[in-house]
Order: sequence, then structure tokens, then C-alpha cells
Amino acid sequence: MKPESEKYNKVLEILRKSKPLLNSTEDIENKVVARISRIPGSEITLTGIIDFMFGWVYIGWVRRSMIAASMVLVMVFIYQQSVVLKRINYLNRQIVIIEGETTTTPADEIERRIMIYKLSGRILPSNRLIISEKQLDQLLESVTELQGKYKDLLNLIQEDPELKNYIEKKLKETDHTGIKL
Amino acid sequence: MIDIKLIEECQGGNFDNFRKLVELTSPFAYSIAFRMLGEEDQAKDIVQETMVTIWQKIRKIKSAGGYKTWIYRIVVNKCYDHLRKKKRHPEYAVDEQTWALISNIISEGPSAELENRETSQIISLLTNRLSPKQKAVFILSEIEEMSGDEISEITGMHKSVIKANLHYARKNISEMI
Repeated sequence: MKPESEKYNKVLEILRKSKPLLNSTEDIENKVVARISRIPGSEITLTGIIDFMFGWVYIGWVRRSMIAASMVLVMVFIYQQSVVLKRINYLNRQIVIIEGETTTTPADEIERRIMIYKLSGRILPSNRLIISEKQLDQLLESVTELQGKYKDLLNLIQEDPELKNYIEKKLKETDHTGIKL
Repeated sequence: MIDIKLIEECQGGNFDNFRKLVELTSPFAYSIAFRMLGEEDQAKDIVQETMVTIWQKIRKIKSAGGYKTWIYRIVVNKCYDHLRKKKRHPEYAVDEQTWALISNIISEGPSAELENRETSQIISLLTNRLSPKQKAVFILSEIEEMSGDEISEITGMHKSVIKANLHYARKNISEMI
């Protein structure tokens, strides 16, 4: 070993052995606590609030229970969604029968029903007649036109008592007593 | 050894627990600060500032091991700042008495422990010509006996830089002795 490194090691050895001693930590503790009490009072308050609200996350068993509860909720949610989806699919396959009503049904009502029929996009069984959207529109137009003409005809009959009597007489003769003007 | 439970309790904002943490942390923070700065009052100020910084950022601590490294990092960084400021106003004068003390240690060998004042005088004299980084590496490696990985983690320096600084510090101090 060189004399320089021997000297160096001797000095190091004594420096390592001589740990600086802190006589009393109390003074430092007091000063630190005094300083942190002055710093942002809001921070301490905020810390308190956060701890109050979310302090439970530091408790192991509460955290684990919450994880389990959230997993159960997620599973229930998934199950519910699958049931709802299944039900919607089932309803999608059902047929909504729009029964024809007498001609007194207003045109708006028919349009509404047809719209529902279109929107529902249902599938008809193979033995039923399937008509296109265009044909449906044509049917709707015809019904509306027919309703208009029928109303005009009724008005015409009501306005003319002679014509009304004649038609009623003819209806009796032809045994169509069920039709009322 | 610092208990992680104590740190967790301090994270909850409890002053009493933090007081306990200050009590446990201060000695080793003081040891580094004193060896780096060589003055008791300045070292105490650094410990105080370190503890205030810890209080402000304690929520970031995840493990007890990480806590100790973190403390060292804060202390060393604060000492750097202090030494940089001090370098602009150098106050140190060569002291014959300290040289006599060093000569005595070398001739008679290490015996009794030195007092704080003597330790500070020797370190200040030996590291007077070193930069703050070299001084930090010398103290952490040679006096605190930390590994290269630990010093790298504390100072943020690459291992090769640490080696280079340590080599320079050793050479410089050996020449002085």
C-alpha cells in the first residue's frame, strides 16, 4: 500500500467512525411543526377533507370489499343488459297486426300505424304476404284518396234530402240495411 | 428503520405521527447535511427544510426503502444549492490547527471518535477544492459507504460520472494529505 493511500484510508476511517451527532431533535421537530402549521392552512384542511372522504381506501378490508361489490355490480349490469337485449331481439321477431278499421278512421291515424309498421322492421312469416315500402305508400295514398271521396259523397247525400231518401230506399231494396248514411 | 405504517399515518395529515417521523429521520439527514456543509446550524436548517418538503410531498411515498433514498436526494440537492451559493462567497481559510489534527490522526492512527467541530474542520479542509458534485460523491461513497447504484439514485448521476468524480476527489485529497 502506498503511503498516500495509507494516510487517506486512516483519515477516512476516523471520519466514518465520527458520526455527526444531532444533540436534540426536539428543536427541529418544533420548528418543522411550526412551519408546516403556517404553510397553506388550506392544504391541511384539504388533506383532512380528502382523508375524510377517501381515507377508507387505505383500509385493506374495506378496499377489498369495495372491489368485490363493484365486480358484483358489473356482473349484474352485464346480466341485465343481456336479458334486455334478448328481449328486444324476441320482440323484434313478433308481428304487429294492424287491423283494418272502417273508413271513418282518419288518414293521420293510418299513417301513424304504417309508420310504426315500417319502423318496427318486423319479419313476417313465410306464409304471409310481404309488400314493399313503395307499395305501402301507394296503398296509403289510395286509402287517403278514397276517404276523401267518401266524405265528399256523404256530404253530397246529406245536403240533398231527395237523394238521401232515394239511396236509403235503394239500399232497403237491395237488402243493405246495415249501411247507415 | 422507518416503518411504512408511520409514513401512511403521516400521509393522513397527523402532526403527532409526523413529529415521530422527524425524530427518526433527522439524524441521518443531519449526518449527510453536516458532512457536506461542515456547519451545524446550516445542517440543521437543511434538515428543517427537508422535513418541510417531506410534509408537502409525503403522499408520493410508496415504500420505506424509497423513503430513505428520497430523503437523501432532497438533502443532497439542498446541500448542492447551498454550496453553489457559498462558492460565490468563499469564506474558508487554511487552518494550521486542523492540519495538526490530521497529522495526528495519520501518525497515531484512528482512535477516539472526533467531535462534530473537528469532523467538520477536517472535511471542510479536505474537500475545499472539490466541486459540490465531487464533494457529494466523496461523502456518499467514501464516508457514508454507499454503493454506486445508491449514489446514482440519489444524485441522478450516471455511474461513470460518479466514478470520474470519485477518482478526482480521491486524487485531490490524497495529494493534500
